[in-house]
Order: sequence, then C-alpha cells, then structure tokens
Amino acid sequence: MNRAELSRAFTPLLTINTDKAVTWVTAALLLSVLIFFLLYPLVDICRLSFLKEGVFTLKNYITYFSNPRIFRSLTNSLYVSIVTMVITTVLAFFFAYGLTRTTMPGKGVFYTISTFPLIAPTIIQALALILLFGRNGLVTRYLLGTDWNIYGATGIIAGECLYCFPNALFILYITLSAVDTRLDEAAQSLGASSLKTFYKVTLPSAKYGIASAAALVFNLTITDFGIPVVIGGGYSVLATEIVSQVFGMQRFDLGATISVILLIPSIGAFMINYYLTKRSYALISGQARPFLQPSRPFKKWGFTLYCGVICASILLVFATVFLGSFVKTWPYDFSLTLKHFDFPSLGGRAPLWTTFWTSIIKEEPLRSMIAFKYAPIWTSLLVAIVVAVVGASITLLAGYVIEKKKPKGEQVLYTLSVLPAAIPGVVMGLGYVLAFNKPYFYIYGTIWIIIINIIICNFTLGVLSSIANLKQIDKSIEEAAVSLGAGPVSTFTRVVFPLSRVAFLSTATFFFMRAMTTISAVIFLISAEIKLAAIEIIFLDVDGRTASANAMCTVVVLIVIGVLVVMRFTTGKSGLTGMGSSN
Amino acid sequence: MGRNLGLENLTKRFGTLTAVDHVNLEVEEGEFICFLGPSGCGKTTVLRMITGFETVTEGKVIFDGRVINDLIPQKREFGIVFQSYALFPNMTVEENIAFGLKMRKMPKKAIAERVDQMLDLIGLRDWRNLYPAQLSGGQQQRVALVRALAADPKVLLLDEPLSALDAKIRVRLRAEIKRLQQELRKTMIYVTHDQEEALSIADRVVVMEEGRFRQMGRPIDIYRCPASSFVADFVGTSNFFKGRQTGDRVSTGKREFKVSQKSTLSNEEVVLAIRPERIEVFKDGDPYRHLEPSNLIPGRIDVVTFLGAAVRLVINVDGEEVISDVIEKEFEQRQFKQGDEILLYFPPEAFLVYPTKVSVE
Repeated sequence: MNRAELSRAFTPLLTINTDKAVTWVTAALLLSVLIFFLLYPLVDICRLSFLKEGVFTLKNYITYFSNPRIFRSLTNSLYVSIVTMVITTVLAFFFAYGLTRTTMPGKGVFYTISTFPLIAPTIIQALALILLFGRNGLVTRYLLGTDWNIYGATGIIAGECLYCFPNALFILYITLSAVDTRLDEAAQSLGASSLKTFYKVTLPSAKYGIASAAALVFNLTITDFGIPVVIGGGYSVLATEIVSQVFGMQRFDLGATISVILLIPSIGAFMINYYLTKRSYALISGQARPFLQPSRPFKKWGFTLYCGVICASILLVFATVFLGSFVKTWPYDFSLTLKHFDFPSLGGRAPLWTTFWTSIIKEEPLRSMIAFKYAPIWTSLLVAIVVAVVGASITLLAGYVIEKKKPKGEQVLYTLSVLPAAIPGVVMGLGYVLAFNKPYFYIYGTIWIIIINIIICNFTLGVLSSIANLKQIDKSIEEAAVSLGAGPVSTFTRVVFPLSRVAFLSTATFFFMRAMTTISAVIFLISAEIKLAAIEIIFLDVDGRTASANAMCTVVVLIVIGVLVVMRFTTGKSGLTGMGSSN
Repeated sequence: MGRNLGLENLTKRFGTLTAVDHVNLEVEEGEFICFLGPSGCGKTTVLRMITGFETVTEGKVIFDGRVINDLIPQKREFGIVFQSYALFPNMTVEENIAFGLKMRKMPKKAIAERVDQMLDLIGLRDWRNLYPAQLSGGQQQRVALVRALAADPKVLLLDEPLSALDAKIRVRLRAEIKRLQQELRKTMIYVTHDQEEALSIADRVVVMEEGRFRQMGRPIDIYRCPASSFVADFVGTSNFFKGRQTGDRVSTGKREFKVSQKSTLSNEEVVLAIRPERIEVFKDGDPYRHLEPSNLIPGRIDVVTFLGAAVRLVINVDGEEVISDVIEKEFEQRQFKQGDEILLYFPPEAFLVYPTKVSVE
C-alpha cells in the first residue's frame, strides 16, 4: 500500500472522529461543570444533614421537628407562600385578562410597568413597604398616627406579591393570548352571558397556565430570602432560618437539614410549573385571531382602573425608595440631599476600579467616595459583566449541544441544565460553603466563586431561551454550512452564533440583571474583602442606615436601567422580552 | 472511466420502519438523475445518505471506487441545494457564495474571481451586496444554486429545490438548472415529487415507492412503458380498469376489451391502464366501422377542461369516469361540448396490462 492509499484508507476514520469529538468534549465539559458546581454542593448538603461522624442518622431532623421555635419556620413558609400564591395568581390573571381580552387603552404602558419588579433586588419591595407602613412609615406614623406596622407575615406577603407579579403575569399573558378568542365569541353567539362564558370557556381553557403560574409564585416565594429578612421582623421562614442557623449559631448541620426540607416544596412546585407550562404551551396555535370586539364601557374602564391601580402600586415602590434615598430624614424632613449616597465605609476592595477612579477623579471627598466607598458597587458591576458574557456564552453553547447535536446523554445534560431554577438560592449558597470552603480549593473567597455561583443558579433560563432560539434556526442552514466544508467550530462561530446574536444579548442582559440584584446565594460567599452592592443593601438596613440602603438600592436599579436602555438601542428590543425570572 | 456514484443494497431503518429498502443504482459522471416519488417514499432519505447527513443502516454508498459511508459530509465535497434555500441570512449574496471557498482555504483573489464567475452564471452581478431577505424566492434559490456550485463539487444534490416557488418561476428555474447542468457537465441528483419536473429535466428518472426503486430509465420510456400500475398512475395520468384476462381478452364484468399483450394464464386478475391521449373519441358518423368493435364504448361528455395545448374530457361511461385528452386543434374542429353523446375507442396496443397481486421490481 503506498502512502496515498494509506491516507485514503484512514481519512474517513479520522475525520468522523474529530467531528464527533468536538461535540463530545463540549458536552463532557458542560456536564462536568454542572456536576461539580451544581450536584456536588447539593450532595454535600444532604450528606451533612443525614450523617454524623460517618453514620446515618435522623438526629438533625428530630431536632428540627421537636423544636417548636425552629419548626415554626416551615409552617410560616408554607402559610406565606400559599397566601402569596393565591393573591398574586388572581391579581395577575385579571391583569392578563385586561391586556388580552379587553380593548382598554394603554396596554403597552401597563405591560412595561408590570415588568419593573424584575429589574430590582427583591428587597426593594420590603424597603418601600417599610418606608410607607413601617414603624416610622409615612402612612402609618405620619398620616394615620397609628402604632400598627407591616412587619411580619403581612409585610412578607405584600412584598412577595409585588415581586412575583410579573413572573405570574408573563405565563398568564401568554396563556390567554394563545387561547382562541373565537371560542369566547362562539359561546356568546350561542347565547351564553359574559359571566357564563368566562366561567365555562375562558377559565377552563386557561387552567394549565393558571396552575403553572401559581406553582411558580409558590416556588419564588418559598425560596426568597431578601424580602423576609428585611421585613419579616421576628417572623422566621425557612430561607431566613437557614441563614440564621449558619451565621448566628454556626449550626451548619441544622442549616443543611432545613435546606433539605426547603428543597422538597421548592422542587415540587418547580416540577409542577415546568410540566404544566409545557402542557399549556402545547395548546398554543399559530392561528391569527380576529380583532377583539370593542369592550363595553363598564368592562373597558373597569379594567383600566384595575390595571392602573396595580401599576401605580409598582411605581409607588420605586418612587418611594428613590425618594427615600434623596430626602434628609424620612418621613419628617423631606428636604433633598445627596448625603445618603456617601455611604459609610463598607469595607471591601475593588483594586482595579480603585486605581482607575483615583487616576481620573482628583478632588476630595468625591474621590474617596467613588474610589473606595463604592467598592461593592464596582465589584458587583465587574461580577455582572463577567457573568453576562460567560453566562450567555456557556448557556448558548449548552443549548446548541442539547438542541442541535443531541449527543448520547443529552437528556442528562438537559435535566441538569433545568435543575438550578428549582434550587433555592440560599441552599445553593450553603452548598457552596460546605463543598468548596477548603484550603486546596483556591478560588473560594475570590470573586470567581461568586461568578460561578450566579451563572449556575441562573443556568435554567439561559439554556431554555437559547434552546427556544435555536429551534427557530432552520436545520438546512447548518447542513448547508457543513456541506460547504465548514467544521463544527466554524459552523458555530460563523453561522449559528451570528444568527443567535439577539438572543445572546437578551440572555446576557438577563444574567447581568440577576448578577446585580441577586442576594440569596451569594450572601454566603462574600467576605470582608469582596462585597456586593445588593448584599450591602441588607447590611445597611440591618445596621439601621435605612436611607443609605435606599440609596444603594437606587444605584443598583439605575445601573440595571442603564444597561436595559443600551440593550434596547443595540437590539431594537426590550431586554426584558421573554424574560420571566426564576429564583 | 469517470467518477461514478454508486448505491449498493442501500438501506435505512428508523426503528422498525424501513425508509429505504435495499436500493441499487449506478450514476455516471455528468449524468442528471431524478428521484421521483410521492412524499414519504424515501427519496429524501436516499439523498441524505448520499450527502452524509443520515447514517447508513445497511449497504454502501460508493464514490469514485471507494465506500464513503463513514465519511463526514464536509469531506464528501458534494454540493447541496435545499428546498428552503438555506442561505445564511447574516451574509450578503457575495459572502454566501464565497463561504464554501473560504472554508476550503482558497486564496482571496481566486475567491473574488470565482464569485464573479458564479454571479455571471445566474446574471445576478448587481445583487452581490444584498442580503437574502432582500431577494425573491427565485433569486434566493439561484444564489443557493451557485453557492453550492462555487467550490466545484464532485456531485450536486438538489432536494426539492423548486417546491417552495410559484409555478411560473418553477418552470423558468427548471430550465436554468438544466442549462447549467449541460454547460458544466456536472453530475446532479435531483429529488422531486413533481412528475412533470422530473420528466422534463432528467437524463434518467428513478421512480420510488415505499422505500424501493420501482423503475428507472429515460423519461420517455417511463412514460410510455410504466413498469407497474403504480408508475402508470404516478407518472402522468392513466385510466384504470380491473378485470380478468384470458388470452388476449380482458373481462371487466360489464364489458370485454381486446388487448395486444397476451396472457398464458387463464382468468388471471389484472389491471388495465391506458393514457388519456391514447383514447380516441368519435362522434356519430365518424369512420370507425373498421375498428375492433369490442373496444368501442359509448359515453357522454360530462366535463370539458381546457389545459392549454390539449383539452381534457371527462366522459361518463355507464357511471364510470374515463379521461381522454384531445389536442386543442382537433377539439376545435370536432366541436365537442358538454353533454355530447360520443363513442370511445381503446386501441388494443394502447392498453398496458399489470397483474394485480405481485408488485413489479
């Protein structure tokens, strides 16, 4: 055999292997990242809760259930979550109904305002409620002069309702736009009254969407940490109990035990939501719907008023916190000041940024304020930028491998990619401490562990939106590239990626927003050196520096709004389109 | 000897479903082959196995003397034209055509020359900087065609390339593809479900049904001598009669036809097929006395459809529908109209006789 013949005989073998190998290596890498940074911390939590000195025991669980003070956190969590679920689902349903089934004016404005809660840390709701209804609340103390205040279950429920509203609305809006309005018209033409049509036709056809929205709200509420920690007062829920066991008592084993208990309802609710969302979306038909009949004036203005009140409440939250950060002494002295933006020294360092700012700002005190006191903000910004770029890239890649390449074990990769949305942030945070707080794990205590944690916690939405986008790219386009001689890498970089640009930017925006506003997981991972803006809001508030907490919150919201505006101009689309948030 | 493409016992199974069942074919270099068949017959699967996008369950794809079953698509250097055009929407016409050349690491200058050459081939030089979305369907498919040809592929594979276009453009582009094929002497394999397209464009047509090759041959042979009642039905239009044959007589129950194809068996179940243009139509007073009387049947014209060069008559024969085509000129002279009582003549040599039970390979 001469050389030409030999190479001819071997080329097929070699080429087919390199092609498959790229897919395989990518899939294996993604899988090991998810196993190491998602499964391993979870396993560690379970291990700690069930094992004592290497022996299986239920001692921790017995301690939990026999201590009424701690046990109350479970019933409290369930109570708060169920009430929030019912209220939010009902409110969001009628809001969605108004947007899809009536001819009320200003739908676009209403819809946009309703998404606002997604751009702020969850605590903004609690901060605003305290400013209005707290011990020194504008309404409670100043206007009504009453001693009643909102701390406790009422405050948590009110805050969670505001925070969960856009998430529930998003699902219900899609459900109601998808259900054919001609069914309603058919029912009415057959003589059914409006009310009867609503009960017999509209409501049953939206049942999956309603149940899935309810499950999502339940999951979001039971896993949230920011709102209960600020407004809960002495009212402990599972998420805050985990943090207080770990930080307050140094009881990592009890923290882990409560985490496992919290995992059960949150994964359950997530699975219900996931399953029903699929069923609900399966009903969507591509059929164009005829024009809506003009609603009767009573219905039209009734819904306008209803949606207007809800939007006003959402705006009130933002306005209150903004105002609270600019006035001297809430609620007694409303003269404007910028002094709350000169944060007390928070500690924390952001060396690169400090060098940068000291080189361009010369005059004090602005210089030390921006360069040193704002360190948490700059750290957050850096983290958010890295999370946005890396998170969007890795989820696009994961989506590509899952949707287009379908290697063996693709189901496992998909399941692990979807899992993070089910895991409460606090649990992930504790898991990271348990799994990675070891001397040889050198990225622990750096911003990298924070970055990895945020990416993993928000992996689900990135992958799902990447898959949804890739489904729209015709299979032949990739085959065309391959037939023209492009290898797997060129096909991805030259064809698939450019076609996913808009989806990539919107996923990046989502990751950026999450990184700027997330609290629950990273609260375990910050240190004296590395602090984050969203977390500082809590610490400032706990320290009694409410006005500074408001100011910090305002800064975070302004940064997020800035990025959204930029994205809107680069992609021509709102960065929030299609972004229902997860915990 | 040229670089031939061969299929040997090529088979594809999806689970328990056999999509392609032991097919064999030898394609000469420079030949234009058309796979014709109804949807779901496996023609696209055969094409995808040739391109390498579908794995082969059994059998071989052979090119230039070697088995290429396991060769990845980009190493096969076959051009492909897709039904959905599959132009890269993020690239201009020029960049689309240059893509394959860049991937094959051709020098920049050579790429520019080749792109010009390709644009001239389809007369779209002025469109080079436009994006696919700015072109009409027909223009996009022309760009897709030269994009596939640019890197001088060894074989060009076309998967229903015209199915997404309007009738008029379809016919024009069909002629253009034929012209390109003759100019470039490129081996082309073309998949379509449109029999008119297949017959007008190919050197050789392969008719497929249920994963098998039912017949292959020159378009005219397939049209004139369909190998089975399926082919007779699928390629062109045929009238069918079921009956039993003894010798040169076929009894359909109501009547008995004389046929040229004799049978050695007695009372064998058969299907008769006859093309509409082979049936002759007579009015009372026409000279038909010398014809085989058993093949003369009375009927009434139910529907007259103008097809262009021909006119189609749907004739009611004892409640059965028979289709007959007469050329337009004759139609004009004879003044046929709806409701006319006429006589149909089925020439014995025009009947094709197929056994009912066994299918013909």
